[in-house]
Amino acid sequence: MKKQIIKLDINNQIYEVMVSPTDLLVDVIRKQIGLTGTKKGCGQGDCGACTVLIDGKAQLSCLMLAIASEGKKITTIEGIANQETGELHPLQQSFLDHGAVQCGFCSPGMILSSKALIDENPQPTEEEIKHALEGNLCRCTGYVLILEAVESYVEALSKGEV
Amino acid sequence: MNILHEFEYFKPKSKKEALELVKSKGSSAKVLAGGTDLIIQMKEKMIKTDAIIDISDLEELKGIKCEEGKGAEILACTKLVDIEFNADLKKKYPALTYAVSQLGSNQVRVMATMGGNCCHSSPAAETPAPLSALGAKVVLASLEGERELAIEDFIHGNRKNALKEGEILYKFILPEPVKKSACRYGHIGLRNAMEIDCANMAVNVELEEDKATIKNVKLVMGSVSIKPLVSEAVPKVLVGKKLTDELIATTGEAAQSEAKPISDVRASAEYRKDVIGALARRLVKEAYEAAKEA
Repeated sequence: MKKQIIKLDINNQIYEVMVSPTDLLVDVIRKQIGLTGTKKGCGQGDCGACTVLIDGKAQLSCLMLAIASEGKKITTIEGIANQETGELHPLQQSFLDHGAVQCGFCSPGMILSSKALIDENPQPTEEEIKHALEGNLCRCTGYVLILEAVESYVEALSKGEV
Repeated sequence: MNILHEFEYFKPKSKKEALELVKSKGSSAKVLAGGTDLIIQMKEKMIKTDAIIDISDLEELKGIKCEEGKGAEILACTKLVDIEFNADLKKKYPALTYAVSQLGSNQVRVMATMGGNCCHSSPAAETPAPLSALGAKVVLASLEGERELAIEDFIHGNRKNALKEGEILYKFILPEPVKKSACRYGHIGLRNAMEIDCANMAVNVELEEDKATIKNVKLVMGSVSIKPLVSEAVPKVLVGKKLTDELIATTGEAAQSEAKPISDVRASAEYRKDVIGALARRLVKEAYEAAKEA
């Protein structure tokens, strides 16, 4: 099959990768680019572990063709911490502070889905947070702590603390 | 390592180019709108296609027009999330925006389109029932021109619809809701998100000047037949009458008598029949009360 070189804009860096049309974005991000923070769970769009931000919106990289992502701004979990200092994004820090991480497999998706929501709606209600996170499954039953972590970040944001 | 069958990828830059491709590739190609159904079907080997025509970023196929007194037009590739959060649509067609908000998950709604939901033509799809209850039409476009169909005539059965080779679903046309009418949508699934409905329903009730007598009612059931099922029995029960508890009960039975559900992994046919009765009773009452205020 004909492979071609495409340019992907991931975390503000341009990567030139050789892909075939059948390559899924999640595989290119993980295997070719080596950013393994994006997880591959169900591969069916059900679990949300593969969530990345595309043009600021949470999308499923396991159902997205890499070739179709050319020209879009892709943000993975690696891209939200401070690139120079390595300091975590305050939302990531909030997940740590609240113990909202157990095995950690769902965390990148949870954090990116939350970030997409808050970037668009800085003062979401509890219901709005739940609605935005309903496509991210946690199998360590950590939903309460995750919700608390997001709410705490929202509160800090409204007080101008972060 | 590739789990998808090999295909050629085309990304047309205009509607015209898309129509040319759809025509020249014919049945060897599949149209990609959001991919949340198509890519899964390709992974599952339910679909093998030699070409993908990606229209997901085609701005010409996206947009919502919803003006006071003029109904609405929703272009087929409009992302579901843009429908869900459109304030004008939410005000005028709350049943539709609610149904959209209950589809998949946020990530799915960011990617998926209403055109895709209807063209996929799953009996369990969320949007066809409210679209049908609201009297929506679809416009199909090809290089030869356009044609218009009622949504219930567009969907023919499980994964079957009226699209001919060379055609794409171009847009949805929703009529302006008539005065003293209201539409409501409900569904039952096994969990809140990322479920496939075991049954869904939309009910549109229009009242007479007295705000009590039912002038028209359209009840559409999803996931209990191979296509959205428009009830013939329920209007016979309700039109010309004022709603009473007894009539509500009869309405539930009437809807149940028409539903032809199957048993599958999501629910038994028996349970689905129960659900249809409950949804019909609940939604007719809700739409009736809302129509009084409309």
